[in-house]
Amino acid sequence: MSFMEFKNICKKYENAERNSVMDFNLTIEEKEFIAFVGPSGCGKSTTLRMVAGFEEITSGDLYIDGKRVNDVAPKDRGIAMVFQNYALYPHMTVEKNIGYGLRNRKVPEEEVQKKVDWAIRILGLEEFRTRKPKNLSGGQRQRVALGRAIVKNQKLFLMDEPLSNLDAKLRVSMRNEISKLHRELGTTTIYVTHDQVEAMTMADRIVIMKDGVIQQAGAPMELYDHPVNKFVAGFIGSPQMNFYPVCIKDKEMRFRDGSRMKLPEKVLLRLEGRSGEMIMGIRGEDIKLDGENLKKYNDDRQRAVVENAEIMGNENNLYFTFGGSLTVARVSKYEVRMLGDDLEFVFLPEKMHFFDKDTEKAI
Amino acid sequence: MNKRSSSLLGMAFFGPALVLLTIFLFVPMVLTLAFSFTDYFALNPDLTHFTGLENYIKIFKDDLFVQSFVNTVCFVLIILPCQGIGALCLALLINKVTHCKKYFKVAFFIPVVMSLAVVSTLWMQIYSPEGILNTLLGNLGIPAQPFIHSARQALPSIAVMSVWQGVGYQMIIFLGGLQAINPGLYEAAEMDHASEWQKFKDITLPELKPLCVFVFITVTIGAFRMIVQPMVMTGGGPSHSTYTMVYNIYETGTVNWEIGLASTMAIVFAIFVMVLTVIQSILTRDKEEKDVNKKTKGN
Amino acid sequence: MLTKKQRGINWVLTIILLVLSLFFLFPVVWMIANSFKADAAITADMNGLAAFIPPVPGKGFFDNYISILTNTNFLRYMINTLFYAAILIVCGVVVNGLAGYALAKIKFPFRERWVLLILLLQIVPMETILTIHFLMIAKVGLLNTVVGYILPMIVNPFNIFLFRQVFLNLPDDVYEAAQLDFCSPLKYFFTMVLPMSKTVVATVSVFTFLNVWNDYLWPSLVFTSSNLLTAQIGLNSITSNDNTTMGQTLAVITMVTIPVIIIYSLFSKQIVEGVTSTGSKEG
Repeated sequence: MSFMEFKNICKKYENAERNSVMDFNLTIEEKEFIAFVGPSGCGKSTTLRMVAGFEEITSGDLYIDGKRVNDVAPKDRGIAMVFQNYALYPHMTVEKNIGYGLRNRKVPEEEVQKKVDWAIRILGLEEFRTRKPKNLSGGQRQRVALGRAIVKNQKLFLMDEPLSNLDAKLRVSMRNEISKLHRELGTTTIYVTHDQVEAMTMADRIVIMKDGVIQQAGAPMELYDHPVNKFVAGFIGSPQMNFYPVCIKDKEMRFRDGSRMKLPEKVLLRLEGRSGEMIMGIRGEDIKLDGENLKKYNDDRQRAVVENAEIMGNENNLYFTFGGSLTVARVSKYEVRMLGDDLEFVFLPEKMHFFDKDTEKAI
Repeated sequence: MNKRSSSLLGMAFFGPALVLLTIFLFVPMVLTLAFSFTDYFALNPDLTHFTGLENYIKIFKDDLFVQSFVNTVCFVLIILPCQGIGALCLALLINKVTHCKKYFKVAFFIPVVMSLAVVSTLWMQIYSPEGILNTLLGNLGIPAQPFIHSARQALPSIAVMSVWQGVGYQMIIFLGGLQAINPGLYEAAEMDHASEWQKFKDITLPELKPLCVFVFITVTIGAFRMIVQPMVMTGGGPSHSTYTMVYNIYETGTVNWEIGLASTMAIVFAIFVMVLTVIQSILTRDKEEKDVNKKTKGN
Repeated sequence: MLTKKQRGINWVLTIILLVLSLFFLFPVVWMIANSFKADAAITADMNGLAAFIPPVPGKGFFDNYISILTNTNFLRYMINTLFYAAILIVCGVVVNGLAGYALAKIKFPFRERWVLLILLLQIVPMETILTIHFLMIAKVGLLNTVVGYILPMIVNPFNIFLFRQVFLNLPDDVYEAAQLDFCSPLKYFFTMVLPMSKTVVATVSVFTFLNVWNDYLWPSLVFTSSNLLTAQIGLNSITSNDNTTMGQTLAVITMVTIPVIIIYSLFSKQIVEGVTSTGSKEG
């Protein structure tokens, strides 16, 4: 049996019209770092809180380490949690905060001290050990919250948007620290975030949710390269994937604005003979301006005028209207184009994604 | 946490308070209402009969009860304007000055924290025929006054003392209200060349209006509940001139043991107080609704 | 910035208020100044400014105080009252605090209705049920006992509501974190909720103290034995004794006032906040 198993988990709040979480099925192996990601209200936090035991499970079964925990009190589920707003005990010092759980469990004082010292050391909180939370910065508070979780030696860490209150720079460094901590401790972790970058960079596996339903679960690159539907395709990756309503007919793809592209045999094979209206998606980095690619797909060259350019140094995002939609192309720093420049580009056919017009499922 | 254990925990936490609330508030309230329709006499409880509205008719025919009621109303009529307006004026003045603010707040508030018994005892000395007040009046050429020793002056004397003791409380409330007024309003009025009087009339008063309602009603209720001062100073006299409703309830119930009659008076008294409270909540709710409207419009 | 004219007005207003406050405080000043004098001196000083000036400290300065403390039970009464206040503060914070916490944070049946009921109970004047309280305590034979005095005073709808309003703003995640740290709900209340809400605990405690210390009616009904009297009742029995001089009377009431003045000077912030909040809550 896997370390953790979700079986048909549903959550319906009283007086709510529909389920907040629908038929959630997932298995998690030991030492995995799982990220639940999705827009706000998608049910990811609710799921996490059901794992913690703060929300009742309406129906379904939840197993942790082979034991059904639906009716087990939070403290007996063997979990440690890091909260979005840190949830530190405001009138206790850093040391007291970290050691509180151990002391409540009547761990011998000597051992508590040892563990607290260890946590404070690996989190770099030595200077702050006697401070109270209100005298700490956001990043330091988050470290204390982490310390409180790691000293308890639990089998499962739950993290509920732990970085969302930090500024961008701090977020990146805390991201690395949490990853490092996970590598060192090897504790199974469920990490909830609305930020797909966090999920992509930290997780072994990502569970992407929308409206209470799992859309796709898989390794970050699997989701990136093979999204099962338009929602996943649009959610993962930045800048967002470009989508075009297209019509496929006679081995040719027609856009709203009348532009056409020939589809190579490989792509047609993938479409299995389907034709008619559908949605085509392509990521910004798969729109190419370089001479080699232009030559290779010479017949399908397209033209547009740059409407906006985000110069980021390492790479550039060029915005232009094509196929009736605003399109962003992600190009290397050597392919600088100015506002108003005429642009010639091609789409890499093998990188195109096709979605059903109505179900938005990947084809 | 699951529903059942949460319910149990809630009841466990709320339980002690609920038990005490039941024993010392609900049950007494129900008993008071029930006894008010009986001739319950605590020294001979076996002879209790249901008497219907008899007590209610009886007390309004009882000269002493009517007098205690009139006295209470007189207290209210003297205390209300003096304390309400006095507190407002003090608050306005203190809000205006820039020096010694803290001293003024403390000075006018000190009598509030002193006990009724202390204040009453102190003013008995002050009001005594050869006391400091008569001496001061004598220096001004005014003949000695009997104050609490005369049926005519006792009630106003106690009322003045009550105002002296209570005014600081409402002053603090008004000061809080004044400080809560958005200073931007005054600055805008300044730009519009408003005079001091106009600023007071068009900004301060309207902004303080709900607070005024609150203060006037609480002062009224406070005056309605008067008992300790006459009890300590005059024993309700001379010739029942300072005998108040609560005093009457107290004596009827705990001295004469006529619980039935005392309960009837208590119900009448409670009705007055609750009507006042309801009036106040209606008058101030109006304002809250407007506030909510303002907020939603603002958003 | 004040203009010259405004500054002038300001000074005039300040002077008016100063004069007013002196008149206002004259009873208090007179009380304190004359509590150190023999009756003869009080009468002699009555006719001048000396009435408001204490005598030069010297022999006999504390005579009135010493005679009260040695010849009467007054010290005992003060200690009694402090003791009652301490019990009532502890019981009141625990009982009303727990109830306020339940009403704010724990889901249990009819919670919203209880809240409404607590709100409604605040408008019932206690004088209405005083007689019945007295009767109840008398019937169960608790007259003249500390328990009989304290029991009806513990629960206070106003304080329950005040606690509830403050606890509503406590973060839920701290409670969840504490649960994962093996903290029981009761322990959480005492070691987290109360310390996190120091201000309201202080406010309730201070007002409970002032209530107990200054209360007159209830202790006058419950206590008849002189061992148990509170300071207020004791003060009344001492000052209504014909043998008590005017100076001694003033000394007694000064002593009764000292603790509240101390409390007021220590907690004036809480007191002013408490008073202002009653206004802003309803207004």
